[in-house]
Amino acid sequence: MSRRVVQTVAVTAAAVASTTLAGCDTAKWSRGAMPVPITTGGHITLALWQGTWVAALIVGVLVWGLIIWAVIRFRRKQGDGLPKQTRYNIPIELFYTIAPTIMIAVLFGFTVKDQTELTRQTGAATNHVTVVGYQWEWTFNYTDKNTYDVGSTAQRPTLWLPVNQRVAFTLESPDVIHSFWVPDFLFHMDVVPGRKNIFEVTPDTIGDYKGRCAELCGAQHSRMLFNVKVVSQKDYDAHIAALRAAGQTGTASTGRYHLNTDTAEVEK
Amino acid sequence: MTTIPGSAAYSTLTTPTLTPAKRNAGRIAVKWITSTDHKTIGYMYLMASFTFFLLGGVMALIIRAELAWPGLQFVSLEQYNQLFTMHGSVMLLLFATPLFVGFANVIMPLQIGAPDVAFPRLNMFSFYLFLFGGIIVFLGFFTPAGAASFGWYAYAPLTSTEFSPGIGNDLWIIGFALSGFGTILGGVNFITTIYTMRAPGMTMFRMPIFSWNVLLTSVLVLMAFPPLAAALLVLEADRRFGATVFSAENGGAILWQHLFWFFGHPEVYILALPFFGIISEILPVFSRKPIFGYKGLIFATIAIAALSVAVWAHHMYITGAVYLPFFAFMTMLIAVPTGVKFFNWIGTIWNGSLSFETPMLWSIGFLVTFLFGGLTGVVLASPPLDFHVSDSYFVVAHFHYVVFGTVVFAMFAGFYFWWPKMTGKMLDERLGKIHFWTLFIGFHTTFLVQHWLGVEGMPRRYGDYLASDGFTNLNIVSSIGAVILGASTLPFLYNVWKTHKTALRVTSDDPWGWGASLEWATSCPPPRHNFITLPRIRSERPAFDLHHPEHAADGMPPREGMLTKVLGPADVSPDAGKQA
Repeated sequence: MSRRVVQTVAVTAAAVASTTLAGCDTAKWSRGAMPVPITTGGHITLALWQGTWVAALIVGVLVWGLIIWAVIRFRRKQGDGLPKQTRYNIPIELFYTIAPTIMIAVLFGFTVKDQTELTRQTGAATNHVTVVGYQWEWTFNYTDKNTYDVGSTAQRPTLWLPVNQRVAFTLESPDVIHSFWVPDFLFHMDVVPGRKNIFEVTPDTIGDYKGRCAELCGAQHSRMLFNVKVVSQKDYDAHIAALRAAGQTGTASTGRYHLNTDTAEVEK
Repeated sequence: MTTIPGSAAYSTLTTPTLTPAKRNAGRIAVKWITSTDHKTIGYMYLMASFTFFLLGGVMALIIRAELAWPGLQFVSLEQYNQLFTMHGSVMLLLFATPLFVGFANVIMPLQIGAPDVAFPRLNMFSFYLFLFGGIIVFLGFFTPAGAASFGWYAYAPLTSTEFSPGIGNDLWIIGFALSGFGTILGGVNFITTIYTMRAPGMTMFRMPIFSWNVLLTSVLVLMAFPPLAAALLVLEADRRFGATVFSAENGGAILWQHLFWFFGHPEVYILALPFFGIISEILPVFSRKPIFGYKGLIFATIAIAALSVAVWAHHMYITGAVYLPFFAFMTMLIAVPTGVKFFNWIGTIWNGSLSFETPMLWSIGFLVTFLFGGLTGVVLASPPLDFHVSDSYFVVAHFHYVVFGTVVFAMFAGFYFWWPKMTGKMLDERLGKIHFWTLFIGFHTTFLVQHWLGVEGMPRRYGDYLASDGFTNLNIVSSIGAVILGASTLPFLYNVWKTHKTALRVTSDDPWGWGASLEWATSCPPPRHNFITLPRIRSERPAFDLHHPEHAADGMPPREGMLTKVLGPADVSPDAGKQA
């Protein structure tokens, strides 16, 4: 009977594990489940993520090890008296105060270096996009090209970006807080009404990606999705020309919209 | 009297200090709702907050049911928003916070040898503010537009009447302002009690860790809750009287976040510290050792409390509106005293004589679980990493490891530990172990996989996702875990009922045999004003010294030398045992 129980447990565990790990290859494990970064900044984030997790897991395994060792080793046995009543040990206490402080200092050093790089505004971006997030849609203004694209309920909007060109995003909201997240950038930033948030990235991998709103913005929050296409300069220029040919010139309004409108008012 | 656990701990005799009275339901009800006894008020706090815990848990199960598959099966997106808003705010403000007040009320006066709290009637008033505040919040479900749906941190301007017109939102705001005042008054009461009502000999540095943590938590309450109350009332003025403090044109979107998180982050430690205290009480008892590094542990707790009011903007890294290095540094710094606590706990069980009665099992479960929440906390403290995982399921997983790992594990540890002190009966050990293991497995199955979901790009507060997102498998695993987690409550409820009906009365003051603090030096349950006689208090383990006088001075440091110069003289003289 006990063998059968063991068998059942093993089969169930294997099933659960295979479901959980389905599609997870070793490369993904080495990335710590992160998506493959598609921007130059994303590689910086990924390296910090990996380094931090290696350090965190070493600490974790050490501390879990101490707990489990103590639980196994120091079990009370029949006839045991009172153990030695140790109250403190200053050298050990000093050690376990100073050691974490040093680890934290190292992490802080890397953090500051990387966040400075990730939030740096070079002013050298060749491509400027003003993103307007509003309940519950996105508008992308290609301000250098004097054209825009608007999403609708029927058609999710697509943000086109030329590969290897630094792009500066300006984030604006006319209503509530949203958040502009392209998971493959390994980066997102809030779209705050009354405030202009700016960040720059350089996409370096051609492909189709997903974008999502990451800050609760009302009932349709989970429907506030968009697509991202990183394309060659040639394809990008063709797309911009097509937008202009469709009459989408000017800037889609960043003023206050009426509630529950699917299409933005446009000032030409 | 000293009793060895498991031998003569049970008897059919009633506790001699309790006078039998005529019992009928009406008399008991009136006695309870008019009581100013800190224990009775504490029990009402515990019962009310546990009820809110069950309600919040039911909401969580509906949330997990909805998320198991892509598409909408059970609720609409708007109802989904109401569910997670209410789940979050109920769990934090109507379960965990009043649970702290409940434990503090029942246990702290006993631990410091006081007959009651400093302001017994204020205590009762605080309870009713909390209870009726909570009921007002829940009434939102019965309004036409439903309960509040703007998330538990209620970001402006989504909270304006333009975007959230329903009256349920107003009930939420006013209900929490009301219950917040109850919490503030509770904090005043605890601080006053600890400063003025300690028994003779109970110096600050002989006070049990739990009482220390109640003191520091109460200080944090006084720092954190008034800004929340003010912000909520101003928000209501915006909504009903046309004020525009939190409108976006006035920079209200960021202003609200600063005010809210100035409350919200200390709130996390208001939830954590008392429950760390419970763990710090239990580990020594079942290790048969004093807490390791008592003073270091207290200084670490003070450091955590101090740092916790300087890290609020780490919730705002991705707003682009805060100075990142400062808040990153302060946040990472908190890992140091938290790590110190961990090593204090490990030092306590190290070389001990460990037995695994249910309270100990929960405490070890807490250590194992909370550690992972701490590690992901350090990861989140780093802004470049937060730029990716902020507002994702990674954060959801992180704070459930931290808050559930602390509050719920330590709550059950405390329930099993102090049940005999509160009711005079021991909960069933076998059911307790079944309860622990189902909850432990259910919890980790539910929340571990959510880390992956978040890193892969699933935002929090999504009632729905696409099949093509690739989130389905992990969500199914998480929801299966939630079912196990929900079901784990059943053995506990059965245990409470069974214990009430069939368990024998505890006749020993200290049924666990190695209790350290003063509550184990009075009867189970204690008399109206707690103590018939108080033992002499000469160390931080007065009950242990009383019951095991031959060991009272064991491990005490020598009277001379560097250590005595640095730390002051020992609290117990080597001949203390002989005096007793």
